[in-house]
Amino acid sequence: MKTYISVFRMRLRMETQYRGAILGGIVCQVFFGLILIAVYRALYAGKPQSLPLSHVTAYVWLQQAFFRMLLSSDAELMDKIRTGGIAYDLCRPVYLYGFYYMRIMAQKLMGSLLRAFPMLVFAALLPEGWGISLPASLPALLLSLTALLLGLCCVCAMENITMAFTMRTLDPRGFQAMLNLLMMILSGNILPLTLFPDSWQRVITLLPYAQMLDAPIRLYTGEYVLAQAPGVLLLQAGWTVLLILAGMMLWRRNQDRLIIQGG
Amino acid sequence: MSFIHVQHLCKRFYVQKKRKNGALLREKETVEALKDVSFQIEKGELIGYIGPNGAGKSTTVKILSGILTPDSGEAEVGGKVPWKNRKEYVQHIGVVFGQRMQLWWDVPILDSYSLLKDIYRIPEATYQKRLSELAEALNLGDLLRTPLRQMSLGQRMRAELCGSLLHQPEMLFLDEPTIGLDAVSKLALRDFLKWENREHRTTILLTTHDMEDIAALCPRVMVLGHGRKLYDGSLQDLLRHYDRTRTVEIRYGGDESRPDLPESVQMLKEGDGFRIIYEPEKLPTAELLNLLQQAGPIREMTVQPQNIDHLIADMYREMGL
Repeated sequence: MKTYISVFRMRLRMETQYRGAILGGIVCQVFFGLILIAVYRALYAGKPQSLPLSHVTAYVWLQQAFFRMLLSSDAELMDKIRTGGIAYDLCRPVYLYGFYYMRIMAQKLMGSLLRAFPMLVFAALLPEGWGISLPASLPALLLSLTALLLGLCCVCAMENITMAFTMRTLDPRGFQAMLNLLMMILSGNILPLTLFPDSWQRVITLLPYAQMLDAPIRLYTGEYVLAQAPGVLLLQAGWTVLLILAGMMLWRRNQDRLIIQGG
Repeated sequence: MSFIHVQHLCKRFYVQKKRKNGALLREKETVEALKDVSFQIEKGELIGYIGPNGAGKSTTVKILSGILTPDSGEAEVGGKVPWKNRKEYVQHIGVVFGQRMQLWWDVPILDSYSLLKDIYRIPEATYQKRLSELAEALNLGDLLRTPLRQMSLGQRMRAELCGSLLHQPEMLFLDEPTIGLDAVSKLALRDFLKWENREHRTTILLTTHDMEDIAALCPRVMVLGHGRKLYDGSLQDLLRHYDRTRTVEIRYGGDESRPDLPESVQMLKEGDGFRIIYEPEKLPTAELLNLLQQAGPIREMTVQPQNIDHLIADMYREMGL
């Protein structure tokens, strides 16, 4: 276990090395947040929707703040597979699935926390109708933090599956672009899932993508009432377990038919 | 049984060919990286593994380090089959891939080492002792707190080597460890490998294109070409067979002087002198000297043995590689 904690800590520390990237990310995400909110304000000015505007702005800010959690951004790891540097990891006495899971998790956790704190402070200082509102209640906040943690576990499991496929196709770029698009739409990053037609929402909220940020945000804003929380958390946990098992199976299959690129 | 025991090892890869204009499907071609390779290595041996690019050297190393599974054949290292129980097996081996990195790019190398300590479950005291031993032998003292990205290639290679040896493996695979190193770093690395081999009886298999590495380190060499083992024995015996010519460089006092030499001797004009390549078997050195002196007063002259790289190139040519 120590090994896995150790690689987790290592990746955490590495993330703090790129201060310029953090600052750049914050500026970019804040910019996107403001633009999106301006668009929704225009929409609401024309035709008010059933969902209160403050929920939408909170949704946008939370999505932007934890943006790093969604897309795979461990370029070093992908490069390792593409160029064959993974050879070294394969000759370590570790369980590779767990090793990469911890690495991915550390990167996502640290990467998004470092960005989320300043961004949420900024968003909280914005005037009413632009910024982020307080959570629906204290229990809602606690439940949403729990859901965020489960969402993190879920997204890490998903990325590990992408990794397993990458090891097979050996070049992640084309197919990752497609997955990223799916992720952006179905996780609610481009358009809040709460604004999708109700009939769509019934399906989309069941997909794993909705477990990552959409579920925690809905708990935060009170979209999901407290009575719904156990069901939401259970669904998240279910997907996480399923995705982890699938990833473990893929990794095992990979190891028998591995190719190392680049001599 | 020997420490390493390899029998009839075969491995095939599929390579994609560039498609012809208009063709939708890529053509696949089979490359036989290893064709029936067998050898034995005893504990504590230091062995050179040479061959032209694409001969199958790295493939052998990858199979023996548990990364790749062969298509057929057997291999055992220290009584264990590398590709079975991978996790258990790799605890006892160390690998250096000269053109790849194992240490983390952005953090001080000491942090990478301490991660390796946890990965290999090295007890703290053993780790400290081993690290200071390696840091001294590899002259890493001041570098331990430097991130990898700020190091020169030579420093990086030394750091990588230290990383591969922290858990004191019984078996060390080195895949081109001296690639891109300057003369001083190369010499230091060679001294270190000799020391590690002597001090800890670490078995070392070294692949390289640098024949000086082999000459300095390895009493035994194996030559691989097109996936087959072509030679297994001492470097001296291998070279003796190909080492047939000597080179003389000569400069005369008078400008007009030009020696008159038989057909079997190759003579090239070089600057204001000549380069003469001859085979002592066909034309004894004494006779050559006689002929050279007849041409005029000699100002300076050197006789050189054949360059080891040329010898190997001749050998590859003769073996049809």
